[in-house]
Amino acid sequence: MRWYRLLGIVVLLGFFLAAFGGAYAQKVTVTIQDYFDPAGGMAKFVDRWAEEYMKKNPDVEVKHVYIPFAQLLPTILQQALTGTLPEVVMADNPWVPNLIKAGVYLDITDKVKEWGWENWEDFFKGHRDLTSVDGKIYAFQVTTNNLALFYRKSLLEKAGIPEPPKTWAELKEVSAKIKEALGIYGFGFCATASEEGTWQFEPFLWSNGGSLLELDQKEAVEALSFLVEMVEKGYTPRDVVNVSGQGDVTQWFINGEVAMMENGNWEFGWHLTPDVLEKLGDVGVAALPVPKEGAKPIVPFGGECYGIGANTKDPKKLAVAWEFLSFIASADGMLAANLEHGGLPTRASAAEKIAAQKPILAPFLEQARYALPRPLVGGFEKYPDVSSTVWTAMQRALTGMKTPEEALKEAAEAIRGLFSPEEYEAYRKQARELIAAAAQ
Amino acid sequence: MTKRGGALPLPGRMSVMKGTKVAYFFLLPALLYVLFFGLYPLLYNVSLSLRDVTFITYIQGTARFVGFGNYRELFANPIFQRTFSNTLLFTGLSILFQFTIGFLLALLFNRSFPLKGVLQSLIMVPWVLPIIVSGSFFRWFFSDNGMLNGFLLAFRLIERPIPWITSGHLPIFSVTMANIWLGIPFNFVLLYTGLQGIPEELLESAEIDGATGWQKVRFIITPLLRPVILATLTLGCIFTVKVFDLVWIITQGGPGDVSHLFSTLSYSLAFNKLHFGKASAVLIVMVLVVALLTALLNLFQREV
Repeated sequence: MRWYRLLGIVVLLGFFLAAFGGAYAQKVTVTIQDYFDPAGGMAKFVDRWAEEYMKKNPDVEVKHVYIPFAQLLPTILQQALTGTLPEVVMADNPWVPNLIKAGVYLDITDKVKEWGWENWEDFFKGHRDLTSVDGKIYAFQVTTNNLALFYRKSLLEKAGIPEPPKTWAELKEVSAKIKEALGIYGFGFCATASEEGTWQFEPFLWSNGGSLLELDQKEAVEALSFLVEMVEKGYTPRDVVNVSGQGDVTQWFINGEVAMMENGNWEFGWHLTPDVLEKLGDVGVAALPVPKEGAKPIVPFGGECYGIGANTKDPKKLAVAWEFLSFIASADGMLAANLEHGGLPTRASAAEKIAAQKPILAPFLEQARYALPRPLVGGFEKYPDVSSTVWTAMQRALTGMKTPEEALKEAAEAIRGLFSPEEYEAYRKQARELIAAAAQ
Repeated sequence: MTKRGGALPLPGRMSVMKGTKVAYFFLLPALLYVLFFGLYPLLYNVSLSLRDVTFITYIQGTARFVGFGNYRELFANPIFQRTFSNTLLFTGLSILFQFTIGFLLALLFNRSFPLKGVLQSLIMVPWVLPIIVSGSFFRWFFSDNGMLNGFLLAFRLIERPIPWITSGHLPIFSVTMANIWLGIPFNFVLLYTGLQGIPEELLESAEIDGATGWQKVRFIITPLLRPVILATLTLGCIFTVKVFDLVWIITQGGPGDVSHLFSTLSYSLAFNKLHFGKASAVLIVMVLVVALLTALLNLFQREV
């Protein structure tokens, strides 16, 4: 073995690495990590900010890194374990309480105070509750979405229905008429074995005064029984348990296989783009039907949060990360980002402005005011467990394996078993309070 | 190696030792590969499966050691019990039908007939298609308003749609059917290749002696194909026990957790519920089942 040759190569290699590393070290690199589709509006918006910022600050390199949705959580996990979290960490909102508890996010309360507390108070309550713990702020939710009733005006008219249904009874009635007149399904929703299934059930549960932590109560049984009845009467296809996601339901809606559906505003940036809307020419949106006349449709909110990674120690990097955060969380930044992204702002002032520009979003914006954060009404960091128990119960009832009472009783027991009795009581009360506050 | 070494002049004991060292050196890359990409992940999984690892305990490094607690909980859980029997049912039925159909097709294609080449490539189609495509197709094929029910309804064979993947008992059979369709080409190719290695003269002389088709298969083809058959079954078992994508795309283990296999249950425990410890325990059980099946088949091989 000519070991000295090998040594020579290693030394040379080391030298090159050091040289290149040195060249990089002169620049401060700040990474923004998220799962927004690189071709989509939000990603482009962030890219543009990064470009402009680098133009003004040539000593800073802002990297915008895309991680696919399914890999983001495992990636954050890995980064947190190895202390390599990026400066700006994005997460889907239901994960945020878990991430805060795990210490992924930096406490930014002081920065927010410096920036102006009125900015924080401009956020809707649900979003403030989600991204803060005991008065300390860890992230900003910058975009949100929720669920409403989409309907095809021309199909409803053909069945002799002038207006979209407002209550569950009306939804059933309208669906019956549509089935009779047109031979198609009246109403589509998504009951897939994932969070999407639970999230589509929550509006029915909460609007009826039910809670995820008290599923054996009559409010919950009524809500699930209603959906089961819709399937059993043939107003909703039983295939809702096997769709790959909410987008499949939109596909039925576009094809005219269902006349109405429960779905979210993101569809305007995904399947129901302006050209599709124009081609169909008859898509309307209304608030989700409620159990009784005069009740409020209480929906869960979706959307993403940005915060600063806990490993960000360098003050220079911290400053850049905050610059980004306070821009995208500002009223104007958030408005522009959401206009491009097709989302809803989480600040009252920005929501008012977007309502004027996009009237079709009105039902979503109205519901967003009192929409609920899922983890906070669903057992905090146990929410993933609660949610999967709920979608399993829902699927069992919808496929006729169990009655709604049986399925929900089992689920309620399983959920109670996730907590200690004191924990359970505390979360149950918290959920009750939040749901009651939203209903007012 | 020793034989060849015998033909060369051996300069003495020392250099033989040196030669062995060099051999080990050449083995090093393979050894490192197995250590880092085979053994390490496996052992890491074992260690995860013995601890109470959730999202928060994982990051904070506070996961408690629970011994076989995860395993005990799993075996007491009706969903896991169902998953266990599902996996055995899925594997058993898949292998039985894939192998039988593959074998029959191989026998058929072992003689020449018109359009053989075209048909042979058509048989390979399921294998060539990406699973996301065939899986999505089957999801629609089996759905209440899907192709299969549409067909059966059109011919008045049924009055109401059969809930192939929207009921409590049928979904595991539906995904098994899909998997059988997917696995036929694999069995066909291996067996067909093996068949071509059987000398024509043997079969011809058997024919002259008055052997029937069945006798030829039973007394000539099967014994000669034995190694190929065992290899096909072993590989088939390994591949089938760990199927993930097909089931995940068609049913996601649902509805109501009735169609899980080990792999889908593990995935859903890890990434839906964030119970990494339990998810690892499921995987370890899966590895043990695969090892057991392989060992059983190996036993057959030695008994020749």
